[in-house]
Amino acid sequence: MSRFFLRRLLQSAVAIFGVVTLVFFIQRLAGDPTLLMLPDGATRDDIETLRHQLGFDRPLAVQYLDYLWDLLRLDLGQSLIQRIPVLDIMASRVPYTLYLASGGLVVALGVGVPVGIVMAVRRDTRLERFLAAFVLIGQSMPTFWSGILLILLFAVTLGVMPSSGVDGFRSIILPSIALGALTMATFARVTRTAVLEELGRDYVSTAQAKGLLFRRVIRRHILRNAATPIITISALEIANLLAGAVIVETVFAWPGLGQLAVQAIAARDFPIVQGIVLLGAFVSIALNLAADILYSAVDPRIRLEGKT
Amino acid sequence: MKRWSRSLGFAALAAAMAFSGAVTAKDLFVVDLVQEPASLDPHVQWNPDSYFVYRNIFDNMVTRDDEGKIVPQVATSWRQVDDSTVEFALRSDIKFHDGSALTAEDVVFSVKRITNPEFKSPQLGQFNSIVDAIATGPATVQLKTNGPYPVLLAQLVKLSIVPRAHVTQVGNDRFNQSPMGSGPYKFVSIQRGVKTTLARNDAYWGPKGVFTTVEFHAVPDPATRVANLRSGKADLIVTINPDLAAEIKADNRIKVLSVLSERVAYFHLNSLTGPTADLRVRQAIAHAIDKQGIIDGLMGGYDKPVATMMAPVHVGYVEGFKGYAYDPAKAKALLKEAGITPNTNFTLFTSPTFDQRIVQAIQQMLIEVGMKVSLTSSDFAGWLKRAQSSPAEFGEMTFSRWSCGCQDADGVLFPLFHSSSSWAKSRDAEMDKALEAGRSSLDLNVRLQHYKRVHEIAEATLPLVPLYQAAILYGARKELRWRPTPNESFFLNRMAWDG
Repeated sequence: MSRFFLRRLLQSAVAIFGVVTLVFFIQRLAGDPTLLMLPDGATRDDIETLRHQLGFDRPLAVQYLDYLWDLLRLDLGQSLIQRIPVLDIMASRVPYTLYLASGGLVVALGVGVPVGIVMAVRRDTRLERFLAAFVLIGQSMPTFWSGILLILLFAVTLGVMPSSGVDGFRSIILPSIALGALTMATFARVTRTAVLEELGRDYVSTAQAKGLLFRRVIRRHILRNAATPIITISALEIANLLAGAVIVETVFAWPGLGQLAVQAIAARDFPIVQGIVLLGAFVSIALNLAADILYSAVDPRIRLEGKT
Repeated sequence: MKRWSRSLGFAALAAAMAFSGAVTAKDLFVVDLVQEPASLDPHVQWNPDSYFVYRNIFDNMVTRDDEGKIVPQVATSWRQVDDSTVEFALRSDIKFHDGSALTAEDVVFSVKRITNPEFKSPQLGQFNSIVDAIATGPATVQLKTNGPYPVLLAQLVKLSIVPRAHVTQVGNDRFNQSPMGSGPYKFVSIQRGVKTTLARNDAYWGPKGVFTTVEFHAVPDPATRVANLRSGKADLIVTINPDLAAEIKADNRIKVLSVLSERVAYFHLNSLTGPTADLRVRQAIAHAIDKQGIIDGLMGGYDKPVATMMAPVHVGYVEGFKGYAYDPAKAKALLKEAGITPNTNFTLFTSPTFDQRIVQAIQQMLIEVGMKVSLTSSDFAGWLKRAQSSPAEFGEMTFSRWSCGCQDADGVLFPLFHSSSSWAKSRDAEMDKALEAGRSSLDLNVRLQHYKRVHEIAEATLPLVPLYQAAILYGARKELRWRPTPNESFFLNRMAWDG
């Protein structure tokens, strides 16, 4: 088991290194932020002076080695635009992204899973078709549209929610709905399939024959067995949520990493982009590892299967 | 089951406490910016989101009043000692927010700091005509320029005075995170990505602000900014487009504030290589563009067409130029004369930063007179690079807007027209001479004569087609009394409430 994990860790390290190198060079291929930082009318001399001071006139290989050396000492550098340590900037934004991703996941699971169960149990009824359409519409709405619609309805017209920003617990509700809607349909579909599969099993008829309330059957037996595919999808969908968070964060002025990434990329603030990519790589790998661990916790068969 | 829901409740409570909701007091003023200020050190970043905030924390050598005239601020008076030296007398009653006095030493320090290449200020180019700063007394400073420099005062409008002792003591990095100046508002705190908070400086030497506390929120989406204004979350929002302006006008609790700024939109043409090197082609392009049509049809009618690259707010603006009238028939004739066929390729390079409706409208107008114009787009940094590249790499044409932040012809015409500038895609020896003469005379009338010549040559040779003076639109609560200025200044202590 430990040799398996050691191999996974090594693979992860190589993957992270590859991603970081790729992003480093791709960014610099397009140029540097010097022109973006200067006012209109900066002369060639002004441009060259600033470029030299920022170190962008050095050969790419030198800049890369410099960056690697800093990375080894766990120094993510300073934002070129804000002149503040990248770590500080990212640390202040990460909690917000976590809140939003969690909120989105809660909405997606909270709506998607029950809908999926009902769709499985009430298969081939009008209710199922209506629910299918409902979650599909949720998934099809682009967040830059659904987001502003939610704001206009609940914040401007009804006045019951804040229209943007971070102002207490209520601020996370609308962004979570906008974000969660993106993956509701996926969770509903996966849950429906998994529950349908379980519904056909022998133990279900046994439990019902015993006189167990159907609701209890679902909760105690079916869901636990259906959990495996739902967990798999969760790990994948978290990645989608983090990606979708970019637009939601922009629309709702939610100060998460997504918004930061978009702005840093446009401004060519290389250290921040590199920092975010590094974090993203770590998170991606950690999530996959976590999913693996959760499997063995939820499904004893996987645990007992041991080293594969 | 009960235990589970209780821990959920605790988690929610913890989350709520972590958010620490904002207090909406009546004397809190909320401004929605596009992005958070990149830096509050006034000598670092040059972008509106930053200087909207830091111009209130710091005082500048001189400033512009609401009419656009340069008036005293830190400097009370000035006199030209000789062609390259100006002596400034400073106010003696200015105190930084920590109580220390602002003296000539601070002015000298500020000038030297921003002009030091090792400080890496992107604003360096605006001040590097100042070659020395000397404190000739506790309240007098002499600035030496690189030859006669008539734009000095216009540039000093943008020079903030920082406290020498404090900056030296805490270092640039700490000063950047916690700036301290002498202005009408003090820096209180910054919650990265969320808001920047300022508090009124009750000991300010000049006109005090009306608001006790001011928060600047970063709201990247313009529709959300308008929603914030409508829901009462924001009192003033910046950068709205004409469509959103119409939405604001429909709500009688809020209003649109607009000003014709010093930003001028233009259509830059390649006069050196390619099919646009033929003057007749450039003339045809000028006749093909319906400026008023674009302004009325796409931009809500706020902007104003211009015949030269200057507007009345610029020093160097000269009346009497007519420009090229909208005449598609004449455009077609000129193109035929120049031998342009439907197979001649024209490339219009652009970037999403520019209003694509305008770019596409211009493209369409050119297509209608028989030009084959294709659009190519890149990110803004890519656009900047191409705009300043060699004529061959530039292509044929591009749409852009120009502002020097100085309201002076030298900051606009010199970089666009002088052959030494990487922006210029034209070459005219007489134009060069007129531009050089315009920037080396301290006599306003002499300068205007030279710039008149520049406008004449520009109208005759069409290095670019001047389009319109851009209007800047803001949204505000109906009760706000504020007059936005052409140089997009943002002085909180010039805002007040009605009644």
